[in-house]
Amino acid sequence: MLLDPRSKMIMVICISSLALIYNTPARLLQLLLVTLVLLFIFSFNLRVIAGYLKPFVFLMFFLFVVQSIFSPGDRVILALGPVSLISIEGVLAGATVVLRLLVITAAAMLFTTFSSRDFILGLVQWKVPYEIAFMVSTALRFLPLFRDELKNVLTAIQLRGVDLKKVPWGKKMVMYRRLTFPVVYRNMLKAEQLAIAMEARAFRAYPQRTYLRQLNLQRVDYVVILLSLLVTFILIMRYIG
Amino acid sequence: MFLELRQVGFSYPQKTSPAVIGINLSLKKSGITAIVGPNGSGKSTLTKLMLGILPASEGQIYLEGRNITEYSLAEAGRRIGYVSQNPDLQLFCASVAEEIAFGLVNQGCDVATLEERVNFYLDYFELAAYRKSFPLHLSQGEKQRLAIAAVLANEPEYLILDEPTNGLDAYRKRLLEEYLHKVAELGRGILLVSHDIAFVDRMAERIIALANGQIQSDSNQRGEGYLCY
Repeated sequence: MLLDPRSKMIMVICISSLALIYNTPARLLQLLLVTLVLLFIFSFNLRVIAGYLKPFVFLMFFLFVVQSIFSPGDRVILALGPVSLISIEGVLAGATVVLRLLVITAAAMLFTTFSSRDFILGLVQWKVPYEIAFMVSTALRFLPLFRDELKNVLTAIQLRGVDLKKVPWGKKMVMYRRLTFPVVYRNMLKAEQLAIAMEARAFRAYPQRTYLRQLNLQRVDYVVILLSLLVTFILIMRYIG
Repeated sequence: MFLELRQVGFSYPQKTSPAVIGINLSLKKSGITAIVGPNGSGKSTLTKLMLGILPASEGQIYLEGRNITEYSLAEAGRRIGYVSQNPDLQLFCASVAEEIAFGLVNQGCDVATLEERVNFYLDYFELAAYRKSFPLHLSQGEKQRLAIAAVLANEPEYLILDEPTNGLDAYRKRLLEEYLHKVAELGRGILLVSHDIAFVDRMAERIIALANGQIQSDSNQRGEGYLCY
């Protein structure tokens, strides 16, 4: 479906707001299903969605376990002597956190359906200062770069003969901890180089900018924006009311 | 044969034309082979396929008779040392010395051998002054030397070097040539990917020319030189 990037941004904001407000697995599951339907409408298939979510699987599992153990509850499922380990309330809290993360991640996929240039243009036409719009877009662009960077490092490590699947967890965590600094620093160097390259090409040298393209909201965009805001408002009022 | 490629093809997602098509190639465990060809001819893609970094879309690749898909990246990496054309992607440690020691430490090398080898490569590639420096702060040529040293330190059976002379001055290029000749004399094979025709001429016994993802000429098979590009 051809929509203005701003309509999609509003949809992402609405879905994410609902994900943050809803606090039960059932509601979040419904929201996730709606988000998936939206992704299907925007031509995402199941494989692509799974590909995007795959890197978060471990984090989600980890969060689920931690939340399940550390959220107190009366209906104990698993106990170690007098100490209750997992309760039904804990499992529900874990499921809530994981589903919330899934909804926000899935909604954020809508950002990939338009270019960073359109994103900046959309914000600028909403009177957001260009510098801020550019900063937000660059930050979003750096997220996949950061992921690629990590992927490259993991490939390089394995090519030096380290079988990550066979490294014990304790050792693996030490290795990852030591790798964090170089990976983060490498991205900081990239950001610095980007800033230099931009300034060398007259970024902010003059107060006026020329935009080659103009985004125009169509009737369908107005309908989508109004509908998204209205439905979100009603759902929030019903939930908290 | 050490490496054997049968009808190998590969296409990058969202690209209309394949990066490599119908590649049939056999590489012996010893000797120096070079792959030459213009930009975008599929040279680097081919080396990544040989290591299993990229999965072949068509055909099969065998490393000593076993399909490369049956090897983990680490298993392939222990046997084939790989230096990519962008050394930045291969450097991930906090210091130059750690970078060279990384593979050895993880293979459980004893401390005396480790120190000896790290010092040797630091001296040979003239990186001793940067022992404690952060690798990404080095110049392009120094990063290139470090990436090569870090791979050579593991002493793999075979080496694939993608544009190893990038950023190297004439003196360092000669040092690299001398070292690679020594490695080859020890019976280890080397595959060079390079645009540096003079370097390739001095080094390679066999030259394979690629264009548009296909082999245009192979000096081994035709008994002739390679196509100029």
